[in-house]
Amino acid sequence: MEKIVEMIQARDPEQREFHQAVDEVIESVKPVLDRNPEYRQQAVLERITEPERVVMFRVPWMADNGHVQVNRGFRVEMNSAIGPYKGGLRFHPSVNLGIIKFLAFEQVFKNSLTTLAMGGGKGGSDFDPKGKSDMEVMRFCQSFMAELYRHIGPNTDVPAGDIGVGAREIGYLFGMYKKLRNEFTGVLTGKSLNWGGSLIRPEATGYGVVYFAAEMLATRGETLENKTCLVSGSGNVAQFTTEKILELGGRVVTMSDSSGYIYDEGGIDRDKLKFIMELKNIRRGRISDYADVYPEAIYTPVDPALDYNPLWNHPADCAFPSATQNEINDKDATNLLANGVYLVSEGANMPSTPEAVDQFIDQQILYGPGKAANAGGVAVSGLEMAQNSMRLAWPREEVDSRLKHIMESIHRTCVDAGKSYGAEGNYVIGANIAGFIKVVDAMLDQGLV
Amino acid sequence: MVVNPTFFPTSFDPHFKVFHELMPFKVQEILLVSSLYDAYIMEEDGSITTRLIHEYHGLNLSKAPKVTRVSTGEEALAALGTKKYDLVITMPYLAGMNAFNLGRQIKEASPTLPVVLLTHNLRSLFPLPPDLERRSIDDVYLWCCEDDLLMAIIKNVEDHANVDNDTAKAMVRVIIYVEDSPDYRSLFLPAIYREVVRQTQAVLDESINERHRLLRMRARPKILMAHSYEEALKLYETYKPFVFAVISDARFPQNGKVEGRAGERFLSLIRKEVPDLPLLMLSSEAENRRRAEEIPAVFIAKQSPEIHRELHHFFLTYLGFGDFVFRMPDGSPICSASNIVEFEWELTQVPDESLQYHALRNHFSNWMMARSEVRLARSLHRDFIGDINQIGAMRENIISKVRSLRRLRQQGVITVFNRNTYDSDINEFVKIGDGPIGGKARGLAFMWGCLQQPESDDSVLTRYRVCIPRSLVVSAQGFDDFVSQNNLFFTSEMSDEHIADLFLDATLPSWLRQELEAYIQLCSFPLSVRSSSLLEDGQFRPYAGLYSTYFLTNNHDNFDERLTQLEAAVKMVYASTWFESPQAFSRGVGSGGRDDSMAVIIQELVGTDYNGRWYPAVSGVAQSHNYYPVQDMQPSEGIAHIALGVGKTVVEGERNLRFSPAHPQQLIQFSTVEDILENCQRQLYALDMDNRDCLNRHNANLTRYDVQDVAEDLPVGLLASTYIPEEHRIRDVNMAGVKILTFAQILKHSLYPLGDILSELLTIGRAGMGSEVEIEFAVKLGKTLEESIFYLLQIRPMVTGGERADVGICDHEIEQSFIYSTQSLGHGRISSISDIIFVRPESFDPAATRDIAREIGEVNRRLQAEGRNHLLIGPGRWGTNDHWLGIPVQWSDISAVQAIVEVRSKLLRADPSQGSHFFQNITSLGIPYLTVDEKNGENGSNGDRIDWDWLFNFPAAHDGKWIRHLRLDYPLTIKCEGPESTGIILYREDLVQRTCTIGD
Repeated sequence: MEKIVEMIQARDPEQREFHQAVDEVIESVKPVLDRNPEYRQQAVLERITEPERVVMFRVPWMADNGHVQVNRGFRVEMNSAIGPYKGGLRFHPSVNLGIIKFLAFEQVFKNSLTTLAMGGGKGGSDFDPKGKSDMEVMRFCQSFMAELYRHIGPNTDVPAGDIGVGAREIGYLFGMYKKLRNEFTGVLTGKSLNWGGSLIRPEATGYGVVYFAAEMLATRGETLENKTCLVSGSGNVAQFTTEKILELGGRVVTMSDSSGYIYDEGGIDRDKLKFIMELKNIRRGRISDYADVYPEAIYTPVDPALDYNPLWNHPADCAFPSATQNEINDKDATNLLANGVYLVSEGANMPSTPEAVDQFIDQQILYGPGKAANAGGVAVSGLEMAQNSMRLAWPREEVDSRLKHIMESIHRTCVDAGKSYGAEGNYVIGANIAGFIKVVDAMLDQGLV
Repeated sequence: MVVNPTFFPTSFDPHFKVFHELMPFKVQEILLVSSLYDAYIMEEDGSITTRLIHEYHGLNLSKAPKVTRVSTGEEALAALGTKKYDLVITMPYLAGMNAFNLGRQIKEASPTLPVVLLTHNLRSLFPLPPDLERRSIDDVYLWCCEDDLLMAIIKNVEDHANVDNDTAKAMVRVIIYVEDSPDYRSLFLPAIYREVVRQTQAVLDESINERHRLLRMRARPKILMAHSYEEALKLYETYKPFVFAVISDARFPQNGKVEGRAGERFLSLIRKEVPDLPLLMLSSEAENRRRAEEIPAVFIAKQSPEIHRELHHFFLTYLGFGDFVFRMPDGSPICSASNIVEFEWELTQVPDESLQYHALRNHFSNWMMARSEVRLARSLHRDFIGDINQIGAMRENIISKVRSLRRLRQQGVITVFNRNTYDSDINEFVKIGDGPIGGKARGLAFMWGCLQQPESDDSVLTRYRVCIPRSLVVSAQGFDDFVSQNNLFFTSEMSDEHIADLFLDATLPSWLRQELEAYIQLCSFPLSVRSSSLLEDGQFRPYAGLYSTYFLTNNHDNFDERLTQLEAAVKMVYASTWFESPQAFSRGVGSGGRDDSMAVIIQELVGTDYNGRWYPAVSGVAQSHNYYPVQDMQPSEGIAHIALGVGKTVVEGERNLRFSPAHPQQLIQFSTVEDILENCQRQLYALDMDNRDCLNRHNANLTRYDVQDVAEDLPVGLLASTYIPEEHRIRDVNMAGVKILTFAQILKHSLYPLGDILSELLTIGRAGMGSEVEIEFAVKLGKTLEESIFYLLQIRPMVTGGERADVGICDHEIEQSFIYSTQSLGHGRISSISDIIFVRPESFDPAATRDIAREIGEVNRRLQAEGRNHLLIGPGRWGTNDHWLGIPVQWSDISAVQAIVEVRSKLLRADPSQGSHFFQNITSLGIPYLTVDEKNGENGSNGDRIDWDWLFNFPAAHDGKWIRHLRLDYPLTIKCEGPESTGIILYREDLVQRTCTIGD
């Protein structure tokens, strides 16, 4: 296996991000490879690390001042074993082939884990949308699509948004695709609601995290009913996590922002959540305002001198880190466990440091790693594709209910994979392996192509 | 004189430009040829020059000509050979050469030089053989030692020379005077001139200032002399459109023969062509009265003892110089108007019949003509006021023309406030009191003048309304009288609160109170009261925003309360002169103690009442130089900051929108949906119109509102976009949902050319002031965005710091520096700082920025007392009012600062605050401002560096909770290279390379 890594490095020495990602995947699926000689025989690692297709193209466009600009466009179609390539487009000056390849590689397993029929891909450009006018963005998107349209399609490759590509860009890209192909199909996800977008997008990650937590609890015959929960953050994920916890009967006692956190022992009820939503989404104020309105809550400002986050130091059953990377360190993990927390479901990306994760696994608590627990966002992309292909727009309830099914399915897959590889209840191993196996098995089924 | 003429150059007198072009020929040098005897007689009452000066002065005319006297014809010819003369006046009897010979010789050499013969006695001269007179002598007058005859001769020479130019340029009117007799001519010509000059002066619109009155005198009627029927007819034919009166003798030559009825024929001929032209017959023959009446013409008997009074009456009654007497068709008077204000008012009142009566007879036009209102007079001619039978429409037509003239007259002119004539719709800029009006008012007046004359016809300023708010300046005399009459003395121990109390308890000078009372009676709109310090807004001494501004709703039911609030606001602005911040700034710039006098500007607060909140749709600050040009932006294209509501948001550095006027669509702050949500303005300031009771000392009466709470207000609907969370998208429409202030309709969709207007104003300002400038502005919404009105609130010079000697930074020096910045402002080298204050990065807390500001203030005060300067290092936006964005220091907290380092912090994601007054002060004083990226030399950083270890290892003079103060025993060296935007601070002085090549 080291040979594969060496080979990859020798072939593309400058793609450091990609090398690291390959390293990590190989490390996490080592038991799978050890147990399945067929995989080695069929050189699945060599095959899975080489993109099925890489498109790199010139994107010329004209700035408002009449100057011609040239950017570089990419689409890495990494793997289509289980479905059409699916993955975002990123417009950012840091974009290069190595980064896109690395992102596409990770996307393959993320998509696979959702249990939906989506392969993996990623694309983008080194175009910097910062300070560009709407018209410049439009001209760029049109030029970008003037090449990309040859390579994508609802049954081939379905790009979505990512950094620098939001609803506006998706709109311009879709419009150009439609013009060139003369067909209205679900070739992109992240579309606006009135022309093919899906409901529940803002809610998906938060809801999914809670569904995943509920599934984890179910393995112990429990529900969220009356569970005390610590939620960090107050953005989209935190808000909808809280909303779904309340819906399922739990009690949320904390929320936070970059200035500090509030602790409301009596629980943040629906009205209080409504206040927070208005505070953060509309007024864009500080979470400290919550304590002004609800004096029973205690506001604690961020204290940079502390080496832990006091938010995680309250008696509770469940924790939903939904703010930022590395927000739970070793000490926080200790505090959580000491306070009786036995479930952590990650809404943010990698919120727990490796030391913290080790503690959770050692203590065998219910730990839902982000790649599984927060897959709700990716899942809704899949649901958008499904709705498009059926020419249907599902109501909220339907999307929500399907999201719930997907999260249940992800959970089951993780549990099964963990169990098969002797790590029952370890969702980290389960998630890593489950995504991989599904793709590799499909590749083997389809022969050397 | 209200306007300092050196300040307002001629080219900035837009409305008076035409007058500058009138009367290009002026008699400046007169050669008087007279025998000693004549001279003796002539100068019996003093020298001619002196008497001419007196005469000119008495009539308030411009500079009197100079008179040079010679005794003989030969001397005269010699004098003419050495110097240029504009007029020769000769007496008949000269030693050796008579006047006619002299005249002939002069004409041979200079055919156009006028030669006038002045004689004591006509008997030996008159009648002259026609050929002799015309060839050598232009005119003959009888001299009886009247000074006004000389003036009349000079003016008449000028009038003949200028008539073609002046009629062509300004349709100046012409009076034809036919008289063949030198004695009557010498009698009546001065009388007519005197009447014309005095009457014209008497009726010039009193709202314009003195200098402009003088200028406008140039448009007085020209008087053209004719000696015969043929000459008279020729003049009439030539200047027919401009002739507005004919004064004629009865008997004068026609066809080479003196004809008793030549005058009657001439006048009758004109009467046939123009039924309502005022005609006057002057005759010594009594039977001509009947003939005159038949023409019809006015008749005055030459021998009448009342002739001057009668002439005066003729001017008043027929030439429009008197009050306008409105009459009914039967001639019965109804009312009268003595000036244009009254005239406009009466026009709204008089019965239709009267209006029609006067309109038919062109009385309105004539009356305006007499006032040198040339264009208006023309537009009020009966051919141009619509259908005379549609009286309602005609009345409106006339009134609107008169009104727009009054408004136009006032544009670009500061006049003295007059309670009787003040009209807040017309007089946009008035002043009370004598003395200087301060930097702010001066700048505003200057720009206002510039605005009247757009650069070109396709200028955006010709298509969109750009003006200043209605303003009243209380001159510095108010402050000086206030301080002296109340015996107020400044001592540095007094706190701001104490000073405010002291000033509020004191009484304004009674003259000022009376004027303010009269003013406020006449205006019913909300007011802002702000300083116009004599020191403020001058180059290198910006004092920007250090003095207070107060806002008044000015809508209390009780008038006394309104007045009291205004007086209190004026006193509070006065008090702010002595407050700590301006004083500290004064010390900083070395302008010494408290001899800072101050004018006050009381200005209409630009805005509209939106559901009880008064605010402008857009307010902002624009600078002609952009310190942070990115992407396509050029530094010279400037930078603007805008916000919804009163400008406090921008001026004090709260969340606002920054854009380059040349690239209004490139909004760096608004690149992604996340950026927009993070950076958009969330709160605005407005005047709460229901809170009419008090004058709040601290928040200047402004109330802060959440943008979301005022979503129903028109400007929010027009200028905000809507966030759609389901799609994570911002749409530039007004729909249900979260309002996001993007100003997209203006900046992105160009419904109002704010960028173009700002670009042009900055260009004008830069050219006018000769330096980079900063303007404050507001935009009031019209019915649609396109109909919005742009108001210029202030202009002041800004300093870019590029003028100092070049400073090179070598690579070697960068290595020897503990701070290296690739985004520094300023240019130059400082080697006089040994004190460093820095905010501890490890304990920095965005929630504690106010405490940090206080701690910095304490150390700063100690250093100031010791006369030491310091280098200040800390995170975020310095001097902001939003304490979440940076450390909200006031100027007084850092008055001893000589260099500032801003460390970009993850905790404080704030854009540089160029719109703030604070920043203006820093850059004006040439304080280097180095921004250091927080990545501090790590991977992915731009190379910026700060050596925290060195700063921490140095023993502290003050080791506080939030900051450390270090005192070095040697001076630091700071070098900033403006063009490269790089700056360094070296560890030690001796590390500076004595010679270095850039890039070595």
